[in-house]
Amino acid sequence: MSDVDTRPGAILKNNLWTNNPIFMQVLGICSALAVTNLLTNTAIMTIGVTFVTAFSSLTVSLLKRFMPRKVRMIVQTLIIAFYVIIVDIVLKAYLPEISKNLGPYVGLIITNCIIMGRAEAFAQSNAPIPSFWDGITSGLGYMGVLMLIAVFRELLGFGTLFGFQILPDSFVPWTIMVMPPSAFFLLGIIVWAGKSAMNREGATA
Amino acid sequence: MNKEATGYTIVFVFIVSFAFVFLLSMTNQVTVERVELNQEIARQRAVLTAMGVDATGAEEIQAEFAKVTGDSDAGLYAGSVGGRTVYAKQFAGAGLWGTISGVLAVTSDFEEIVGLEIVEDNETPGLGGRINESWFKTQFSGERIPADGIQVRLLEGDGDEVKDNGIVDGVTGATRTSDSMESIINNELQQLRSSEVQQRLEELASSGGNA
Repeated sequence: MSDVDTRPGAILKNNLWTNNPIFMQVLGICSALAVTNLLTNTAIMTIGVTFVTAFSSLTVSLLKRFMPRKVRMIVQTLIIAFYVIIVDIVLKAYLPEISKNLGPYVGLIITNCIIMGRAEAFAQSNAPIPSFWDGITSGLGYMGVLMLIAVFRELLGFGTLFGFQILPDSFVPWTIMVMPPSAFFLLGIIVWAGKSAMNREGATA
Repeated sequence: MNKEATGYTIVFVFIVSFAFVFLLSMTNQVTVERVELNQEIARQRAVLTAMGVDATGAEEIQAEFAKVTGDSDAGLYAGSVGGRTVYAKQFAGAGLWGTISGVLAVTSDFEEIVGLEIVEDNETPGLGGRINESWFKTQFSGERIPADGIQVRLLEGDGDEVKDNGIVDGVTGATRTSDSMESIINNELQQLRSSEVQQRLEELASSGGNA
């Protein structure tokens, strides 16, 4: 693919904004619903996804010269699964509390469409270093949107941010914010806000 | 060399799988002891918390736990806290989405609950998951156990702060989890009172006194 701009700045802008995995490509939605009710969990989860995306893109790019086309997808899945299990093991060994909170969602990073999407769309046809950078920035684009959702959900659902009490005790937590449907509403609002901002940008440019 | 040839493909997949699985088992091997230690400490902390012993940090937890005599196969523990003998039992029971496991501690005369600690649950975060919050767990401490078991109360406007009636507040919006907790705890209390368990606990308590 020669139409992809591989300059670092262009990749950054593309993955964080113009082609954001969540609100432009609408990928990785399942985890956006599942892990965003507490900021700490969201932060760890998105760092995990960023790590896995970056390293699997790097590995796919390194191996692509040797990879037969017909087993391409299987090998990509193997590589992604490898990094996901590494993340799971590291969390269990060094951050047992967080590992307990995230429960099955760490294993489910493997089903995050962003990772395979980047491996297929970018790493498969680009050099290792830009692929690694592409993975990191895609992860950051995902992190940005999820953290934004989590700020609203934790603040309104628990009255806290990162576990610290922010709103007074008299505040009645909104139960809906704790449940997955609220993430749908917030995600919808964010997609809407993001797209309108982008349209305005396009109109003035 | 033809990259698309069947022979090459098989060899390639074999080598790649071997390399990654090898690296994974190495990582697992390096961390396996740490993971087991973490699980052990989590279990010890739960027992201590239920018994009302304050301990933070891995070393303090292990030091305090050493003072408790226990039969970890049966999940039964006996210890002396603040001059009185306290019994604790690990439990596991069905919650709304999965198994809720934890530790329940009672006084040696089985008249009063000393504490409750949840080790693992799969309840809805923010609803049933609130059984992990301290307001829910601490209301069991010092609660008298009536003959027909404790009651986790729901659909009442006012909170219950009386320690003598064996009634605690359930979690609003988590009726099924609250009901599960009630039956799990009553089931455990019944087991604790059975002569077999009682005898084992007394043995543990007396052996702990001499140690």
